[in-house]
Amino acid sequence: MNDLMMNISYFGMSFLDPYLMFLTAAGVFFGIYVGAIPGLSVTMAVSILISFTFKWGVNEALALIAGIYYGGVYGGSRSAILINVPGAPAAIASGLDGYPLAKMGEAGQAIGLTTIMGVFGGLIGVLCLAVGAPMLSDLALLFAPRDYMMLAIWGLLLVGSLSGGMMAKGVFAGALGILFGMVGLDPLTAEPRFTFGSVHLTAGAPYVAAMIGLFGVSEVLVQLHELHFPTIKQNVSKLFPSWSLIKKHLPLASRCSVLGVIVGALPGAGGDIAALMAYDHAKRTVKNPERPFGEGAWEGIVAPESAAVGSVGGCYIPMLTLGIPGDAVTAVIIGALYIHGLKPGPMMLLETPHLFWFTVGNLILACIWLAVFGFMGIKLFAKIVEIPKSALLPMIVVLSAVGSYAIENNPVHIYWMLGFGVVGYFLKMYGYQVGPVILGIILGPLLDSNYRRAMISVSNDPVEFVAEFFTSPVSAVLLGLLVLTILSQTRYWARIAGLFKRAGAEAAS
Amino acid sequence: MISKKLLGAAALSLFATVASAAYPERDITGTIMWGAGGAMDVVSRAIQPHAEAVLGKKIVMVNKPGGTGAISTNFIVNAPADGYNILFGAENPQLHKVLGLAEFDYDKFFPVNIFARSVGVIVVKADAPWKTVTELIEDAKKRPGKVKMAMTGPGGLPHTVASMMGAVTKFNTVPVPFDGEGPAVTAVMGGHADFAPVGVGAATESIKAGRVRALAVVNTEPVASLPGVPAITKEYPDFAKYLPWGPFYGVFVRKDTPDDIKATLVAAFKKATDNPQFQQLMADRGNIIMNISGAEAEAFLKKWQSTTSWLLQDVGAAKISPEKFGIPKP
Repeated sequence: MNDLMMNISYFGMSFLDPYLMFLTAAGVFFGIYVGAIPGLSVTMAVSILISFTFKWGVNEALALIAGIYYGGVYGGSRSAILINVPGAPAAIASGLDGYPLAKMGEAGQAIGLTTIMGVFGGLIGVLCLAVGAPMLSDLALLFAPRDYMMLAIWGLLLVGSLSGGMMAKGVFAGALGILFGMVGLDPLTAEPRFTFGSVHLTAGAPYVAAMIGLFGVSEVLVQLHELHFPTIKQNVSKLFPSWSLIKKHLPLASRCSVLGVIVGALPGAGGDIAALMAYDHAKRTVKNPERPFGEGAWEGIVAPESAAVGSVGGCYIPMLTLGIPGDAVTAVIIGALYIHGLKPGPMMLLETPHLFWFTVGNLILACIWLAVFGFMGIKLFAKIVEIPKSALLPMIVVLSAVGSYAIENNPVHIYWMLGFGVVGYFLKMYGYQVGPVILGIILGPLLDSNYRRAMISVSNDPVEFVAEFFTSPVSAVLLGLLVLTILSQTRYWARIAGLFKRAGAEAAS
Repeated sequence: MISKKLLGAAALSLFATVASAAYPERDITGTIMWGAGGAMDVVSRAIQPHAEAVLGKKIVMVNKPGGTGAISTNFIVNAPADGYNILFGAENPQLHKVLGLAEFDYDKFFPVNIFARSVGVIVVKADAPWKTVTELIEDAKKRPGKVKMAMTGPGGLPHTVASMMGAVTKFNTVPVPFDGEGPAVTAVMGGHADFAPVGVGAATESIKAGRVRALAVVNTEPVASLPGVPAITKEYPDFAKYLPWGPFYGVFVRKDTPDDIKATLVAAFKKATDNPQFQQLMADRGNIIMNISGAEAEAFLKKWQSTTSWLLQDVGAAKISPEKFGIPKP
C-alpha cells in the first residue's frame, strides 16, 4: 500500500511542481519547431541540452528532454504536410497523404487530425510503458538477427504501396535506395564499399540528407515548372476535426500506436520504421478510404502519426528497464542519465525507484502539452503554403542546406543532399516515386547486416538457418505474418479465404 | 588544398605571437570525434563544465563523427594551431594508418590529457554452463563452430580482445559482428550469442542485475567496479604481454600549438579530470582514470598503437602492414 502511495506521488511530481510543468511545456513548444525544421533533430537538441542542464537536478533535465522528444517527433509531420519536406525521418510517411491534403487546401484540418492522433498514440505508448515495460523489454530481447531481417523485408513490401501504381518503377526506385544504402564501411567487417578511396564516403549515404534532398530539393525543382500556378488558399476556419472523423479512425490509430510501441521497444528500430510500417498496415487493411491513398486519405496521416508518437513510449521501455537505447534519442538520454549520476541498466529502477513512475507521469504531461501547443499556431503555419513560390522555394533550399550541414556539422552532407535532390528531380520527372528510394536507404542496411549476422550465427549452414525460423516462437510468428501479408496481396488469397469459409460452414452444419 | 595549408601556416605564425598573450580570450571549440549519445560524447560533455570552470571561457561542443574519427582529425589538423580548436578523441586514430583511413594518427597531435581508459570483460548469459574462461575455451575447442561470440568490427574493443584470445588460446568460435558493444551485450542477454568480450562500462549494470555473468576482466588485476571477477592473466598469463590495454578517451590539440597554450590546457584538464563528480562518472562507467598528459601520454599512445596494430595484422584485419609505418612490434 505504501508502495502504491509512493508511486502515485512520483507519478504526480511533474503535475504538482510548477517548474517541472513549465519545463515540460517549454520542451514541447521548442520541440515542435525543432521537429518541423528539416535537419534540426531531436537527437541534436537533446545532446546540446546535456551540457546545458548539467547543473540541474535530474528530474528537471528529464522533464525538458521528454517535452522536446514528444514535440520533435510530432513536429516533423508539419513540414511534411505543408511543404512535402519531412522535418524528421519519422514524418516521411505523414507527407505521403498529408501533402496532397495541403494541395487541396486542407492543411489546417490535416494538422489538427495529426495532433489528435499523435496525442492519442502518445498516450497509448505511455500506457504500454506503464503496464507492460518489463514484459515488452523481455520480448524485445528475444528478437534475433533473423527477426530484424524479417522486419526489414516486411518494411520493404511497402515499396508496393509507395510506387504510385507503377510496380516496376517502384521496385527500381527501392533497389536504387538499397544500393545507396550499401555505400560506406561494411557494418560487419568495416570493409569500404563504393567509397572510391574517399574518407568522406566511409560514413555512407546519410539518410537524413537523402530525405531532405529527395523530398525537399527535388520538390522545389519540380515546382519550378509550376511557378505560374496560383498558390492554394488554405481553409483554416475548421482546425479541430469533427468527432465522427476522429471516432472513425480510432481503431486504426490504436492498432498503429501498439505497432509503434513494439517497433520502438526494439533496439535499433525507432519511429521512422514504425511510421512506415503503420502506413503500410493502413493501406493494406483499410479497404475503402474516402480518398485513395496517396491522394489525401485521412488514414494515410492517422496511421503514421499515431505510430510515430506512440513509438516514443516504446523507446523508453528498453532504456528504463535494461539501459539499452530504443533509438538515437534514447541513446543520448542514457548519456544524460550517466552525467546526472544515475547508472542506466537493469539495476536503475531498483536503485532509483522514483524514476519509472516519474517518467510515466512526465510523458503523460508532455502529451497533454502536445495537445495544447499542437493546436496553437496552426493558422500561422498553414500560411507558409500561401507564401508566393518565388520566395518560398529558395527558402526551402537554404533551409535544406543548413539542415543537412547541421546533421553532423559536415559540409559533405550538403553535397549528398543536393545530389539526391537532382536525382529525385529526374526520378519524379520520369514518373518514379522517391518514397521507395528512402525506404531502401533506411531498410537496405538493416536487411543486409541482419541477414548476414543470422547466416554467420549458424556457420553459413542454410538448413539450420531455415530450421531456426520454425524453432524460435518469435521467428515463427513473424514468418507467419509475413507470409500472410504477401499471400493476402495475391489472387490466391480469395481462393484460400473461400476454402476456410466453406470448411467453417460445413463444421457449423 | 595547398593554399589551405599555406593559409593555415600563415595564421599559425600570426597566432603564435599574438594569441598566446592571454589565452583563452574567447570561446574554444571542442570537436567530438563521435556522434551524440556515444561513450566519447558522454565523457566529453561530462568534463566540459569542469574544464570551463578552470579556463574561464566556454567550450562550444560540436560532434563531427564519420570515417571512424578521420573526419574530425582531418578537421583539427587543418584548423589553426592556436588552442581554440581542441579535439575530444578516442583511440581510433591510432589505427587509421593500418586501416588505410588516414595517413597520420595522433603523431600530429599533442595529448593534452588522456582522461581514462576502459577495460575489457568477458560475459556469458546468466544461466550459461561455463564458470571460467578456461571452461568456455575448452568447450569451444570440443565443439568447433558451435560457440558463438558477439563482437564488433575491426579495431573496436570486442574485436581486439577476441584477437588476443585467439592468439593466446587458439580457440575456435563463430564470431558474429554486432553494431556496437551495447548490442553485443544485448545479444548475449537474448541468447543470440554465447559470450561477448566487451568494455566493462557496457556490461557492469547488466552483470550487477544478474542478466549476464562476468568470467574475467581483460586486465592484469581485478577492477574496482567488478569485485570478485578474476583477472584473465590468472588463467592465461600470456595475456600480460598485451596489457594494460583498453579504449581511451582524451583531449588533443595540434602538435605545433604554442607551448604556453599547451601548458594552460594541460593544467585546466588535469584539474577537471580530478573533479570528484567526473571521477564518479568514470567509475560508474567502469573506466580506469589515467589523467596523463605530454610525454607520459605519448608513451601510452605508442604502446597502444603497437599492440593493437600488430594484433590486427596477425589476424589479417589490417589493410596495410604496421611495418610500413615503422610501428614497432610489441
